[in-house]
Amino acid sequence: MRNLITILLCLLSFTAVAHDMPGMAMAGGPALGASAAFDAHGRLWVVDAANGHVRLRHSDDLGRTLSLPVDVNAVAEPIYDSGENRPKIAFGPKGELYVSWSQPRAKPWTGFVRFARSLDDGAHFSAPLTVHHDTAEITHRFDALAVDGQGRVLLAWIDKRDLEAAKARGEPYLGAAVYYSWSSDEGRTFVPERKVMDNSCECCRIALARTPDGGIAALFRGVFGDNIRDHAYALLPTNGGPVHAARTTFSNWHIAACPEQGPGLAVGEDGTRHAVWYEASHGPAIWYGQLDPGHPPQHVLKLAGPGASHADVAVRGKTVWLAWNQVAANGYALMLRVSTDGGLHFDAPRAIATSVAAAGSPQLLVWHDQASIAWNTADGFRLVSSGAR
Amino acid sequence: MRRTLFVALLLLALPAFARAGKLVPLSAADVPALLKPPAHGMRILAIWSLDCAYCEANMQTLAKWQRTHPHDIELVTVATDDVAQGAALEARLKAAHMEAYPALAYVEGSPERLDFLIDPDWGGETPRTEIIRSDGTRQGISGEITAAQLQGLP
Repeated sequence: MRNLITILLCLLSFTAVAHDMPGMAMAGGPALGASAAFDAHGRLWVVDAANGHVRLRHSDDLGRTLSLPVDVNAVAEPIYDSGENRPKIAFGPKGELYVSWSQPRAKPWTGFVRFARSLDDGAHFSAPLTVHHDTAEITHRFDALAVDGQGRVLLAWIDKRDLEAAKARGEPYLGAAVYYSWSSDEGRTFVPERKVMDNSCECCRIALARTPDGGIAALFRGVFGDNIRDHAYALLPTNGGPVHAARTTFSNWHIAACPEQGPGLAVGEDGTRHAVWYEASHGPAIWYGQLDPGHPPQHVLKLAGPGASHADVAVRGKTVWLAWNQVAANGYALMLRVSTDGGLHFDAPRAIATSVAAAGSPQLLVWHDQASIAWNTADGFRLVSSGAR
Repeated sequence: MRRTLFVALLLLALPAFARAGKLVPLSAADVPALLKPPAHGMRILAIWSLDCAYCEANMQTLAKWQRTHPHDIELVTVATDDVAQGAALEARLKAAHMEAYPALAYVEGSPERLDFLIDPDWGGETPRTEIIRSDGTRQGISGEITAAQLQGLP
Protein backbone atom coordinates (compact mmCIF):
# COMPACT_ATOMS: atom_id res chain seq x y z
CA MET A 1 0.00 0.00 0.00
CA ARG A 2 2.81 2.39 0.98
CA ASN A 3 4.57 1.60 -2.28
CA LEU A 4 1.47 2.38 -4.24
CA ILE A 5 1.15 5.79 -2.58
CA THR A 6 4.82 6.50 -3.28
CA ILE A 7 4.26 5.68 -6.93
CA LEU A 8 1.24 7.97 -7.06
CA LEU A 9 3.16 10.83 -5.45
CA CYS A 10 6.06 10.27 -7.85
CA LEU A 11 3.62 10.47 -10.74
CA LEU A 12 2.28 13.75 -9.38
CA SER A 13 5.72 15.29 -8.93
CA PHE A 14 6.87 14.04 -12.34
CA THR A 15 3.93 15.83 -13.91
CA ALA A 16 4.88 19.04 -12.13
CA VAL A 17 8.55 18.76 -13.14
CA ALA A 18 7.73 18.00 -16.75
CA HIS A 19 5.66 21.16 -17.03
CA ASP A 20 8.55 23.22 -15.68
CA MET A 21 11.03 22.36 -18.40
CA PRO A 22 11.54 25.32 -20.71
CA GLY A 23 11.19 24.72 -24.39
CA MET A 24 9.87 21.22 -23.90
CA ALA A 25 7.97 19.97 -26.89
CA MET A 26 4.43 19.15 -26.00
CA ALA A 27 3.31 15.57 -25.84
CA GLY A 28 1.42 15.77 -29.14
CA GLY A 29 4.58 16.72 -31.09
CA PRO A 30 5.27 20.01 -32.85
CA ALA A 31 2.91 22.94 -32.35
CA LEU A 32 0.20 23.42 -34.95
CA GLY A 33 1.52 26.64 -36.52
CA ALA A 34 2.30 25.54 -40.09
CA SER A 35 2.16 27.11 -43.55
CA ALA A 36 1.94 25.47 -46.96
CA ALA A 37 2.43 26.50 -50.59
CA PHE A 38 2.48 24.89 -54.03
CA ASP A 39 5.54 25.46 -56.21
CA ALA A 40 5.27 26.04 -59.97
CA HIS A 41 5.35 22.28 -60.61
CA GLY A 42 2.49 21.47 -58.25
CA ARG A 43 4.64 20.05 -55.48
CA LEU A 44 3.21 20.90 -52.05
CA TRP A 45 5.60 22.30 -49.45
CA VAL A 46 4.92 22.61 -45.72
CA VAL A 47 6.86 24.44 -43.01
CA ASP A 48 6.37 24.18 -39.27
CA ALA A 49 8.66 24.27 -36.24
CA ALA A 50 10.04 21.49 -34.05
CA ASN A 51 12.84 21.49 -31.48
CA GLY A 52 14.12 24.94 -32.42
CA HIS A 53 14.17 24.32 -36.16
CA VAL A 54 11.86 25.46 -38.88
CA ARG A 55 11.42 22.24 -40.80
CA LEU A 56 10.49 21.85 -44.43
CA ARG A 57 8.63 18.92 -45.88
CA HIS A 58 7.16 18.34 -49.34
CA SER A 59 4.52 16.12 -50.88
CA ASP A 60 3.98 14.86 -54.42
CA ASP A 61 0.64 13.22 -53.63
CA LEU A 62 -1.39 16.21 -52.41
CA GLY A 63 -0.38 15.88 -48.79
CA ARG A 64 -1.14 12.19 -48.29
CA THR A 65 2.54 11.51 -47.60
CA LEU A 66 5.19 14.04 -46.64
CA SER A 67 8.93 13.81 -47.17
CA LEU A 68 11.36 13.58 -44.27
CA PRO A 69 11.91 17.06 -42.83
CA VAL A 70 14.84 19.30 -43.78
CA ASP A 71 15.99 21.87 -41.22
CA VAL A 72 15.80 25.42 -42.58
CA ASN A 73 17.92 26.87 -39.76
CA ALA A 74 20.93 24.65 -39.06
CA VAL A 75 21.46 26.16 -35.61
CA ALA A 76 18.47 25.76 -33.29
CA GLU A 77 16.80 28.92 -32.03
CA PRO A 78 13.48 29.76 -30.35
CA ILE A 79 10.63 29.96 -32.88
CA TYR A 80 7.09 31.25 -32.51
CA ASP A 81 4.81 28.51 -33.81
CA SER A 82 1.24 29.38 -32.86
CA GLY A 83 -1.64 29.65 -35.30
CA GLU A 84 -1.37 33.43 -35.70
CA ASN A 85 2.42 33.55 -35.57
CA ARG A 86 3.61 30.59 -37.60
CA PRO A 87 6.52 30.00 -39.97
CA LYS A 88 5.80 31.14 -43.56
CA ILE A 89 6.77 29.86 -47.01
CA ALA A 90 6.63 31.48 -50.45
CA PHE A 91 8.16 30.92 -53.89
CA GLY A 92 9.96 33.29 -56.25
CA PRO A 93 9.41 33.29 -60.03
CA LYS A 94 12.42 31.03 -60.65
CA GLY A 95 11.53 28.55 -57.92
CA GLU A 96 13.42 30.38 -55.17
CA LEU A 97 12.15 29.01 -51.86
CA TYR A 98 11.69 31.64 -49.17
CA VAL A 99 10.97 30.96 -45.49
CA SER A 100 10.35 33.42 -42.66
CA TRP A 101 9.53 33.12 -38.99
CA SER A 102 9.50 35.11 -35.76
CA GLN A 103 12.07 34.38 -33.11
CA PRO A 104 11.12 35.04 -29.45
CA ARG A 105 13.75 36.93 -27.48
CA ALA A 106 14.28 36.68 -23.74
CA LYS A 107 11.81 39.35 -22.67
CA PRO A 108 8.03 38.90 -22.93
CA TRP A 109 6.43 39.96 -26.24
CA THR A 110 9.79 40.48 -27.95
CA GLY A 111 10.88 38.99 -31.23
CA PHE A 112 13.05 39.27 -34.34
CA VAL A 113 11.80 38.55 -37.85
CA ARG A 114 14.00 35.88 -39.42
CA PHE A 115 14.43 34.84 -43.05
CA ALA A 116 16.26 32.15 -45.02
CA ARG A 117 16.21 31.13 -48.68
CA SER A 118 17.03 28.07 -50.75
CA LEU A 119 17.97 28.26 -54.42
CA ASP A 120 18.17 24.48 -54.86
CA ASP A 121 14.64 23.26 -54.07
CA GLY A 122 15.19 23.13 -50.34
CA ALA A 123 18.39 21.06 -50.37
CA HIS A 124 20.39 23.88 -48.78
CA PHE A 125 19.38 27.08 -47.01
CA SER A 126 21.20 30.34 -46.47
CA ALA A 127 22.11 31.19 -42.89
CA PRO A 128 19.06 32.93 -41.38
CA LEU A 129 19.19 36.70 -41.32
CA THR A 130 17.28 39.21 -39.22
CA VAL A 131 15.18 41.22 -41.64
CA HIS A 132 14.84 44.52 -39.76
CA HIS A 133 17.73 46.87 -39.14
CA ASP A 134 16.36 47.83 -35.72
CA THR A 135 18.04 45.50 -33.22
CA ALA A 136 16.31 46.63 -30.01
CA GLU A 137 14.95 43.73 -27.92
CA ILE A 138 11.34 44.66 -28.52
CA THR A 139 8.40 43.32 -30.52
CA HIS A 140 9.18 42.59 -34.17
CA ARG A 141 7.05 39.54 -34.79
CA PHE A 142 3.92 38.15 -36.48
CA ASP A 143 5.80 38.18 -39.79
CA ALA A 144 3.90 37.94 -43.07
CA LEU A 145 5.68 36.94 -46.31
CA ALA A 146 4.81 37.54 -49.98
CA VAL A 147 6.51 37.74 -53.37
CA ASP A 148 5.40 40.49 -55.75
CA GLY A 149 4.99 40.35 -59.53
CA GLN A 150 8.59 41.49 -60.02
CA GLY A 151 9.95 38.76 -57.77
CA ARG A 152 10.64 41.07 -54.85
CA VAL A 153 10.34 39.43 -51.42
CA LEU A 154 8.21 41.46 -49.03
CA LEU A 155 7.91 41.00 -45.29
CA ALA A 156 5.57 42.87 -42.97
CA TRP A 157 5.41 42.51 -39.20
CA ILE A 158 4.15 44.01 -35.93
CA ASP A 159 6.72 46.34 -34.39
CA LYS A 160 6.73 48.23 -31.07
CA ARG A 161 9.56 50.72 -31.65
CA ASP A 162 7.12 53.64 -31.76
CA LEU A 163 5.38 52.45 -28.60
CA GLU A 164 8.75 52.22 -26.83
CA ALA A 165 9.73 55.70 -28.05
CA ALA A 166 6.43 57.13 -26.88
CA LYS A 167 6.81 55.45 -23.48
CA ALA A 168 10.31 56.95 -23.17
CA ARG A 169 8.81 60.38 -23.83
CA GLY A 170 6.03 59.70 -21.33
CA GLU A 171 3.39 59.86 -24.03
CA PRO A 172 0.47 57.49 -24.58
CA TYR A 173 0.53 55.13 -27.59
CA LEU A 174 -2.18 52.58 -28.29
CA GLY A 175 -1.19 49.21 -29.71
CA ALA A 176 1.90 48.63 -31.86
CA ALA A 177 2.81 49.54 -35.47
CA VAL A 178 3.14 47.62 -38.72
CA TYR A 179 6.47 47.84 -40.57
CA TYR A 180 7.64 46.25 -43.80
CA SER A 181 10.75 45.70 -45.84
CA TRP A 182 11.61 44.07 -49.15
CA SER A 183 14.42 42.43 -51.01
CA SER A 184 15.19 43.03 -54.69
CA ASP A 185 18.01 40.47 -54.77
CA GLU A 186 16.13 37.21 -54.16
CA GLY A 187 16.26 37.55 -50.39
CA ARG A 188 20.00 38.17 -50.03
CA THR A 189 19.51 41.60 -48.45
CA PHE A 190 16.54 43.64 -47.26
CA VAL A 191 16.10 47.42 -47.46
CA PRO A 192 15.73 49.39 -44.21
CA GLU A 193 12.21 48.89 -42.93
CA ARG A 194 9.42 51.42 -43.38
CA LYS A 195 6.30 52.01 -41.34
CA VAL A 196 2.91 51.07 -42.76
CA MET A 197 0.81 52.49 -39.91
CA ASP A 198 0.98 53.51 -36.27
CA ASN A 199 -1.43 51.95 -33.76
CA SER A 200 -1.90 48.42 -35.02
CA CYS A 201 -3.23 45.57 -32.92
CA GLU A 202 -0.46 43.73 -31.04
CA CYS A 203 -1.04 40.08 -31.83
CA CYS A 204 -3.15 39.48 -34.92
CA ARG A 205 -1.61 38.10 -38.09
CA ILE A 206 -1.17 40.40 -41.09
CA ALA A 207 -2.67 39.27 -44.41
CA LEU A 208 -0.72 39.97 -47.62
CA ALA A 209 -2.06 39.48 -51.14
CA ARG A 210 -0.85 40.22 -54.66
CA THR A 211 -2.81 42.82 -56.61
CA PRO A 212 -3.49 42.59 -60.39
CA ASP A 213 -0.61 44.96 -61.18
CA GLY A 214 1.82 42.76 -59.26
CA GLY A 215 2.02 44.86 -56.10
CA ILE A 216 1.43 43.59 -52.56
CA ALA A 217 -1.47 44.74 -50.39
CA ALA A 218 -1.70 44.35 -46.62
CA LEU A 219 -4.77 43.96 -44.41
CA PHE A 220 -4.32 44.05 -40.65
CA ARG A 221 -6.14 44.89 -37.43
CA GLY A 222 -5.57 48.45 -36.28
CA VAL A 223 -6.45 50.48 -33.24
CA PHE A 224 -8.63 53.44 -34.15
CA GLY A 225 -9.55 56.22 -31.78
CA ASP A 226 -10.03 54.93 -28.26
CA ASN A 227 -9.21 51.22 -28.68
CA ILE A 228 -11.55 50.47 -31.56
CA ARG A 229 -10.11 47.32 -33.17
CA ASP A 230 -11.10 47.51 -36.82
CA HIS A 231 -8.93 46.81 -39.87
CA ALA A 232 -6.66 48.85 -42.14
CA TYR A 233 -5.73 48.25 -45.77
CA ALA A 234 -2.55 49.50 -47.44
CA LEU A 235 -0.55 48.90 -50.59
CA LEU A 236 3.13 48.34 -49.80
CA PRO A 237 5.12 50.43 -52.28
CA THR A 238 8.62 49.35 -53.30
CA ASN A 239 9.49 52.52 -55.25
CA GLY A 240 10.08 54.79 -52.25
CA GLY A 241 6.59 56.29 -52.49
CA PRO A 242 4.50 57.01 -49.41
CA VAL A 243 2.32 54.37 -47.72
CA HIS A 244 -1.37 55.21 -47.43
CA ALA A 245 -3.09 53.01 -44.86
CA ALA A 246 -6.86 53.47 -44.64
CA ARG A 247 -9.44 52.08 -42.25
CA THR A 248 -11.48 49.52 -44.14
CA THR A 249 -13.79 47.83 -41.60
CA PHE A 250 -16.19 49.75 -39.37
CA SER A 251 -17.59 47.32 -36.80
CA ASN A 252 -16.53 49.68 -33.96
CA TRP A 253 -15.43 46.81 -31.73
CA HIS A 254 -14.17 48.76 -28.74
CA ILE A 255 -11.88 46.61 -26.63
CA ALA A 256 -8.52 46.58 -24.82
CA ALA A 257 -7.69 43.00 -25.70
CA CYS A 258 -5.68 40.75 -27.99
CA PRO A 259 -8.12 39.00 -30.33
CA GLU A 260 -5.34 36.79 -31.80
CA GLN A 261 -7.43 36.52 -34.93
CA GLY A 262 -6.05 38.37 -37.92
CA PRO A 263 -7.89 38.84 -41.22
CA GLY A 264 -7.60 37.13 -44.60
CA LEU A 265 -7.23 38.87 -47.97
CA ALA A 266 -7.35 37.86 -51.63
CA VAL A 267 -7.45 40.33 -54.53
CA GLY A 268 -9.20 39.24 -57.73
CA GLU A 269 -7.97 39.83 -61.28
CA ASP A 270 -10.58 42.60 -61.50
CA GLY A 271 -9.12 44.28 -58.41
CA THR A 272 -11.94 43.25 -56.04
CA ARG A 273 -10.52 43.02 -52.53
CA HIS A 274 -12.08 39.93 -50.91
CA ALA A 275 -11.59 39.88 -47.16
CA VAL A 276 -12.57 37.88 -44.07
CA TRP A 277 -12.24 39.13 -40.52
CA TYR A 278 -13.24 38.48 -36.93
CA GLU A 279 -14.85 40.87 -34.46
CA ALA A 280 -17.07 40.53 -31.40
CA SER A 281 -18.85 43.86 -31.01
CA HIS A 282 -22.15 41.93 -30.74
CA GLY A 283 -20.84 38.46 -29.94
CA PRO A 284 -18.19 36.53 -31.83
CA ALA A 285 -18.61 36.79 -35.62
CA ILE A 286 -16.63 36.14 -38.77
CA TRP A 287 -17.43 38.34 -41.74
CA TYR A 288 -16.81 38.35 -45.47
CA GLY A 289 -16.80 41.61 -47.39
CA GLN A 290 -15.31 43.40 -50.39
CA LEU A 291 -13.05 46.19 -49.18
CA ASP A 292 -13.44 49.80 -50.22
CA PRO A 293 -10.65 51.43 -48.19
CA GLY A 294 -11.85 54.56 -46.41
CA HIS A 295 -15.45 53.35 -46.65
CA PRO A 296 -17.42 50.42 -45.21
CA PRO A 297 -16.93 47.16 -47.10
CA GLN A 298 -19.47 46.01 -49.68
CA HIS A 299 -21.37 42.73 -50.05
CA VAL A 300 -20.89 42.01 -46.35
CA LEU A 301 -21.90 38.55 -45.16
CA LYS A 302 -21.77 37.11 -41.66
CA LEU A 303 -20.10 33.75 -42.20
CA ALA A 304 -20.34 32.30 -38.76
CA GLY A 305 -20.80 33.08 -35.08
CA PRO A 306 -19.81 31.35 -31.83
CA GLY A 307 -17.13 28.69 -32.21
CA ALA A 308 -15.87 29.94 -35.58
CA SER A 309 -12.30 31.12 -35.96
CA HIS A 310 -9.32 31.81 -38.22
CA ALA A 311 -10.98 32.27 -41.61
CA ASP A 312 -9.09 32.47 -44.91
CA VAL A 313 -10.14 33.54 -48.40
CA ALA A 314 -8.98 32.79 -51.96
CA VAL A 315 -10.16 33.91 -55.39
CA ARG A 316 -9.63 32.75 -58.96
CA GLY A 317 -11.68 34.34 -61.69
CA LYS A 318 -15.27 34.55 -60.42
CA THR A 319 -14.80 31.79 -57.85
CA VAL A 320 -14.30 32.85 -54.23
CA TRP A 321 -13.56 30.29 -51.50
CA LEU A 322 -13.97 30.94 -47.77
CA ALA A 323 -12.65 28.49 -45.17
CA TRP A 324 -12.67 28.57 -41.39
CA ASN A 325 -12.55 26.38 -38.29
CA GLN A 326 -15.79 25.66 -36.47
CA VAL A 327 -15.35 24.19 -33.04
CA ALA A 328 -17.92 22.31 -30.98
CA ALA A 329 -17.69 20.41 -27.72
CA ASN A 330 -16.54 17.25 -29.49
CA GLY A 331 -13.93 18.72 -31.83
CA TYR A 332 -13.25 20.77 -34.94
CA ALA A 333 -14.86 21.03 -38.36
CA LEU A 334 -13.19 22.63 -41.37
CA MET A 335 -15.91 24.71 -43.01
CA LEU A 336 -16.16 25.94 -46.60
CA ARG A 337 -18.38 28.28 -48.57
CA VAL A 338 -17.98 28.96 -52.28
CA SER A 339 -19.20 31.72 -54.58
CA THR A 340 -19.16 31.40 -58.35
CA ASP A 341 -20.29 34.97 -59.05
CA GLY A 342 -17.36 36.93 -57.64
CA GLY A 343 -18.57 36.98 -54.03
CA LEU A 344 -22.11 38.28 -54.58
CA HIS A 345 -23.68 35.01 -53.39
CA PHE A 346 -22.22 32.03 -51.52
CA ASP A 347 -23.44 28.46 -51.23
CA ALA A 348 -24.43 27.04 -47.84
CA PRO A 349 -21.65 26.35 -45.32
CA ARG A 350 -20.49 22.76 -45.32
CA ALA A 351 -18.00 20.79 -43.26
CA ILE A 352 -15.36 19.29 -45.56
CA ALA A 353 -13.28 17.68 -42.80
CA THR A 354 -13.49 17.06 -39.08
CA SER A 355 -10.95 16.43 -36.34
CA VAL A 356 -11.33 15.34 -32.74
CA ALA A 357 -7.72 16.48 -32.19
CA ALA A 358 -6.78 20.16 -32.02
CA ALA A 359 -6.59 21.95 -35.39
CA GLY A 360 -4.47 24.87 -36.56
CA SER A 361 -5.59 27.78 -38.72
CA PRO A 362 -6.77 26.67 -42.17
CA GLN A 363 -4.93 28.06 -45.20
CA LEU A 364 -6.55 28.16 -48.65
CA LEU A 365 -4.25 27.22 -51.54
CA VAL A 366 -5.11 27.47 -55.24
CA TRP A 367 -3.36 25.35 -57.84
CA HIS A 368 -4.55 25.21 -61.46
CA ASP A 369 -7.83 26.91 -60.49
CA GLN A 370 -8.58 24.23 -57.89
CA ALA A 371 -8.70 25.18 -54.22
CA SER A 372 -7.57 23.03 -51.35
CA ILE A 373 -7.11 23.76 -47.69
CA ALA A 374 -3.95 23.12 -45.70
CA TRP A 375 -5.16 21.97 -42.28
CA ASN A 376 -2.64 21.02 -39.65
CA THR A 377 -4.13 18.96 -36.85
CA ALA A 378 -2.57 17.34 -33.81
CA ASP A 379 -3.10 14.05 -35.67
CA GLY A 380 -1.03 15.27 -38.64
CA PHE A 381 -1.01 17.60 -41.63
CA ARG A 382 -3.87 17.30 -44.12
CA LEU A 383 -4.57 18.84 -47.50
CA VAL A 384 -8.35 18.88 -47.87
CA SER A 385 -9.85 19.31 -51.35
CA SER A 386 -12.50 22.01 -51.63
CA GLY A 387 -14.58 19.33 -53.35
CA ALA A 388 -14.44 17.05 -50.30
CA ARG A 389 -17.68 16.19 -48.53
CA MET B 1 -3.65 4.02 5.21
CA ARG B 2 -6.58 3.08 3.05
CA ARG B 3 -7.87 6.62 3.58
CA THR B 4 -4.50 8.14 2.60
CA LEU B 5 -4.58 6.22 -0.63
CA PHE B 6 -8.09 7.43 -1.25
CA VAL B 7 -6.96 11.05 -0.81
CA ALA B 8 -4.00 10.53 -3.11
CA LEU B 9 -6.31 9.09 -5.75
CA LEU B 10 -8.73 11.95 -5.19
CA LEU B 11 -5.94 14.46 -5.68
CA LEU B 12 -5.21 12.87 -9.03
CA ALA B 13 -8.84 12.90 -10.02
CA LEU B 14 -9.77 16.34 -8.72
CA PRO B 15 -9.87 19.23 -11.10
CA ALA B 16 -6.60 21.05 -11.25
CA PHE B 17 -7.86 24.30 -9.76
CA ALA B 18 -8.38 22.59 -6.42
CA ARG B 19 -4.63 22.72 -5.84
CA ALA B 20 -3.31 26.25 -5.52
CA GLY B 21 0.18 27.54 -6.16
CA LYS B 22 1.30 25.36 -9.06
CA LEU B 23 0.50 25.64 -12.73
CA VAL B 24 -1.69 22.68 -13.59
CA PRO B 25 -3.16 21.49 -16.88
CA LEU B 26 -6.76 22.14 -17.86
CA SER B 27 -8.27 19.63 -20.28
CA ALA B 28 -11.77 19.46 -21.72
CA ALA B 29 -12.75 16.92 -19.06
CA ASP B 30 -11.86 19.41 -16.28
CA VAL B 31 -14.05 22.24 -17.58
CA PRO B 32 -17.39 21.20 -16.00
CA ALA B 33 -15.81 21.21 -12.52
CA LEU B 34 -14.19 24.57 -13.20
CA LEU B 35 -17.55 26.02 -14.22
CA LYS B 36 -19.54 24.46 -11.34
CA PRO B 37 -21.02 27.28 -9.24
CA PRO B 38 -19.16 27.80 -5.95
CA ALA B 39 -20.95 27.17 -2.62
CA HIS B 40 -21.12 30.90 -1.98
CA GLY B 41 -19.97 34.14 -3.56
CA MET B 42 -18.37 33.82 -6.95
CA ARG B 43 -15.50 32.23 -8.80
CA ILE B 44 -13.68 34.51 -11.23
CA LEU B 45 -11.58 33.11 -14.03
CA ALA B 46 -8.89 35.56 -15.12
CA ILE B 47 -8.16 34.14 -18.59
CA TRP B 48 -4.90 35.28 -20.17
CA SER B 49 -2.23 34.38 -22.70
CA LEU B 50 1.48 34.97 -23.21
CA ASP B 51 0.89 37.15 -26.29
CA CYS B 52 -1.68 39.34 -24.54
CA ALA B 53 -0.51 42.87 -23.74
CA TYR B 54 -3.43 43.66 -21.39
CA CYS B 55 -3.68 40.48 -19.36
CA GLU B 56 -1.29 41.11 -16.49
CA ALA B 57 -2.93 44.44 -15.70
CA ASN B 58 -6.32 42.73 -15.87
CA MET B 59 -5.43 39.91 -13.49
CA GLN B 60 -3.79 42.37 -11.08
CA THR B 61 -6.97 44.47 -11.04
CA LEU B 62 -8.99 41.33 -10.30
CA ALA B 63 -6.53 40.23 -7.60
CA LYS B 64 -6.72 43.62 -5.91
CA TRP B 65 -10.50 43.38 -5.94
CA GLN B 66 -10.42 39.78 -4.68
CA ARG B 67 -8.33 40.86 -1.69
CA THR B 68 -11.07 43.25 -0.65
CA HIS B 69 -13.60 40.37 -0.75
CA PRO B 70 -11.41 37.43 0.33
CA HIS B 71 -14.25 35.21 1.58
CA ASP B 72 -16.64 35.82 -1.30
CA ILE B 73 -14.40 35.66 -4.35
CA GLU B 74 -12.34 32.72 -5.52
CA LEU B 75 -9.89 33.94 -8.19
CA VAL B 76 -8.32 31.45 -10.60
CA THR B 77 -5.95 32.32 -13.46
CA VAL B 78 -6.33 30.34 -16.69
CA ALA B 79 -3.69 30.57 -19.44
CA THR B 80 -4.85 29.68 -22.95
CA ASP B 81 -1.29 28.75 -23.96
CA ASP B 82 -0.40 25.09 -23.84
CA VAL B 83 0.90 23.91 -20.49
CA ALA B 84 4.05 22.81 -22.35
CA GLN B 85 5.01 26.48 -22.05
CA GLY B 86 4.78 26.11 -18.28
CA ALA B 87 8.12 27.73 -17.49
CA ALA B 88 7.28 30.91 -19.39
CA LEU B 89 3.76 30.98 -17.94
CA GLU B 90 4.94 30.57 -14.35
CA ALA B 91 7.65 33.22 -14.81
CA ARG B 92 5.04 35.67 -16.12
CA LEU B 93 2.63 34.90 -13.24
CA LYS B 94 5.43 35.40 -10.74
CA ALA B 95 6.44 38.71 -12.33
CA ALA B 96 2.80 39.81 -12.05
CA HIS B 97 2.73 38.75 -8.35
CA MET B 98 -0.05 36.28 -9.10
CA GLU B 99 1.61 33.11 -7.79
CA ALA B 100 -0.66 32.94 -4.72
CA TYR B 101 -3.68 32.15 -6.89
CA PRO B 102 -4.57 28.77 -8.37
CA ALA B 103 -3.21 28.74 -11.91
CA LEU B 104 -4.36 26.62 -14.81
CA ALA B 105 -3.07 26.30 -18.36
CA TYR B 106 -4.71 24.67 -21.36
CA VAL B 107 -3.50 21.27 -22.38
CA GLU B 108 -4.45 21.46 -26.06
CA GLY B 109 -2.56 22.12 -29.27
CA SER B 110 -4.89 25.01 -30.09
CA PRO B 111 -7.11 26.90 -27.64
CA GLU B 112 -10.41 27.13 -29.55
CA ARG B 113 -12.13 24.03 -28.20
CA LEU B 114 -11.44 24.87 -24.57
CA ASP B 115 -12.40 28.51 -25.22
CA PHE B 116 -15.72 27.25 -26.56
CA LEU B 117 -16.31 24.86 -23.66
CA ILE B 118 -15.62 27.60 -21.11
CA ASP B 119 -17.96 30.04 -22.87
CA PRO B 120 -19.41 29.56 -26.37
CA ASP B 121 -20.05 33.29 -26.59
CA TRP B 122 -16.34 34.03 -26.32
CA GLY B 123 -14.17 34.15 -29.45
CA GLY B 124 -10.86 33.64 -27.67
CA GLU B 125 -9.74 37.25 -27.20
CA THR B 126 -7.76 37.87 -24.03
CA PRO B 127 -8.01 39.07 -21.36
CA ARG B 128 -11.33 37.39 -20.72
CA THR B 129 -12.99 37.49 -17.31
CA GLU B 130 -15.55 34.77 -16.57
CA ILE B 131 -17.70 35.18 -13.48
CA ILE B 132 -19.47 32.13 -12.05
CA ARG B 133 -21.85 32.95 -9.22
CA SER B 134 -23.15 30.61 -6.51
CA ASP B 135 -26.70 31.10 -7.81
CA GLY B 136 -25.64 29.61 -11.14
CA THR B 137 -25.61 32.85 -13.13
CA ARG B 138 -22.69 33.58 -15.46
CA GLN B 139 -21.11 36.66 -16.97
CA GLY B 140 -18.26 37.00 -19.45
CA ILE B 141 -16.27 40.16 -20.13
CA SER B 142 -13.73 40.50 -22.95
CA GLY B 143 -10.92 43.03 -22.67
CA GLU B 144 -9.27 44.75 -19.75
CA ILE B 145 -11.94 45.09 -17.08
CA THR B 146 -13.04 48.64 -16.32
CA ALA B 147 -13.76 50.13 -12.91
CA ALA B 148 -17.45 50.38 -13.84
CA GLN B 149 -17.57 46.70 -14.85
CA LEU B 150 -15.85 45.72 -11.61
CA GLN B 151 -18.33 47.68 -9.52
CA GLY B 152 -21.19 45.97 -11.35
CA LEU B 153 -20.01 42.44 -10.50
CA PRO B 154 -21.45 41.76 -7.01
